[in-house]
Amino acid sequence: MTATTEAPASQPIADMEADSLIGTFAEGQRLVGSQCNACGCTMIGSRVVCSSCISRDVSRVALPSTGVLYSFTRIHVGTAGIRPLGYVDLDNGVRTLADIREGDVPLRPDMRVELGIDDDDWFFAPAAGEKREA
Amino acid sequence: MSDNVFVISAAMIPFGKHRTSSYVGLAVSPLIDAIRDAGIEKSDIDAVYVGHSYGGMMTGQRICKEIGLGTIPTVNVDNACSSGATAIHEAWQAISQGLIDIAVVIGVEKLTQFGGGTLPLSPEDREVKQGIIMPAVYAMRATRYLHETDATPEDLALVSVKARKHGALNPFAQFRQETTVEEVLNARRVADPLTLPMCCPTGDGAAVVVLASERARKRLDSKPGIRVAASVLHSGHVAEGFRDMIKPEISYDSARDAYAMAGIGPKDLDMIELHDAFSIAELIYYEAFGLAEPGHGVDLIRDGKTTFGGDVVVNPSGGLLSKGHPVGASGVAQVAEAFWQLTDQAGARQIDKARWAMTHVTGGGTAGLDHGACTIHIFEAA
Repeated sequence: MTATTEAPASQPIADMEADSLIGTFAEGQRLVGSQCNACGCTMIGSRVVCSSCISRDVSRVALPSTGVLYSFTRIHVGTAGIRPLGYVDLDNGVRTLADIREGDVPLRPDMRVELGIDDDDWFFAPAAGEKREA
Repeated sequence: MSDNVFVISAAMIPFGKHRTSSYVGLAVSPLIDAIRDAGIEKSDIDAVYVGHSYGGMMTGQRICKEIGLGTIPTVNVDNACSSGATAIHEAWQAISQGLIDIAVVIGVEKLTQFGGGTLPLSPEDREVKQGIIMPAVYAMRATRYLHETDATPEDLALVSVKARKHGALNPFAQFRQETTVEEVLNARRVADPLTLPMCCPTGDGAAVVVLASERARKRLDSKPGIRVAASVLHSGHVAEGFRDMIKPEISYDSARDAYAMAGIGPKDLDMIELHDAFSIAELIYYEAFGLAEPGHGVDLIRDGKTTFGGDVVVNPSGGLLSKGHPVGASGVAQVAEAFWQLTDQAGARQIDKARWAMTHVTGGGTAGLDHGACTIHIFEAA
């Protein structure tokens, strides 16, 4: 018999294990991101593969807790009552969907927002210094 | 060089809440009608392409066996709201490459199976786990559009008013009552700034078209048909960071490629059936298709440029807003409308001397993508 090589088995990625987008880091509780050590691409959530260069050399990182509210809505349908939801562009450029908490300051696109945490819930709210008037 | 492909017949059921009909029950009648109208026999059909998103296993085969149509390839296609149009694209590819001569395309969906509420999205998706729903995605597009342009909620309502005006003329539409800006603005809020009449209704539907090669069409000595001048399918591309939600690259790029393939431009179009799942979408797509500069789509609806008597009739059928949006059926129903308009069979909503038509569906709520899929077709009366 001639020597043969055996094709390596690809392995499944256990992407259902790390579901939460919030994690504990040296800085405290932060949104979980992933940074590619090959090309530097930063992504939301726990990732195994870089969506830019497909490297598997990806590290878990804390994402910035501040950013800009790109857009938002208040959902009136469903069981959760009125639910404000928005897209936040974090200060390192990563975008995340987030619950938005409204206070005295009316929401508007492009306003500064910051991460807040209440027990198991996380959300973004207008940053300190955002004024009542646009 | 690819061969010319023609749509030689179209049939559909009125969209609505057909609670006592299964996927099979929805699709069989238009399937028979489209085959008869094309003047073909079952034995002439080389392949069947079936677009649906929620029909489950072997939806196409379940439908076709009811009329004893088998043996030939049956391909089930899921691309969310683009499922039906993707099925047409697949049929067009096979015919244009000379592989087959005649294909039947079925688009079918039964949304009443879910008992109401918003469209079920993949529970594996990150943003779906966070609670995203399709009205919220479009609402955020609307918030941003109102922020960046001089558009107002009244303009969003004008789109719904136009859709209902057109739908009132279309016996296939779910909503056939006209409405007013005041009614639209005072209606139940779904996701700010969108109210209920700014959102397409869910429902059930089925539409069928028959596509044929030039030689098959000549052999059949068929009635008037329309030529597929462009068939384009794009997928979404992930953005981990900033994405301009009011300039969806997937629709911009698809339109650019479709115009290039057809050798025409936006000014040549007599009608467009576009993906108005929510009223904001129509304004954004005016811009994506080159009918207006970015930020100025709103001018067209204000000035009545996109209704009968205007520059180009957008959604003469009433669009998804009036017709309803049984996901997998919508793309095929749009092509049925183009077929009827370009062959002078559109009744009270007939566009005078219509020659060029575009159809556009784009769909799928997936984290990181604008839309998952976008299909654009351009047709010429032939």
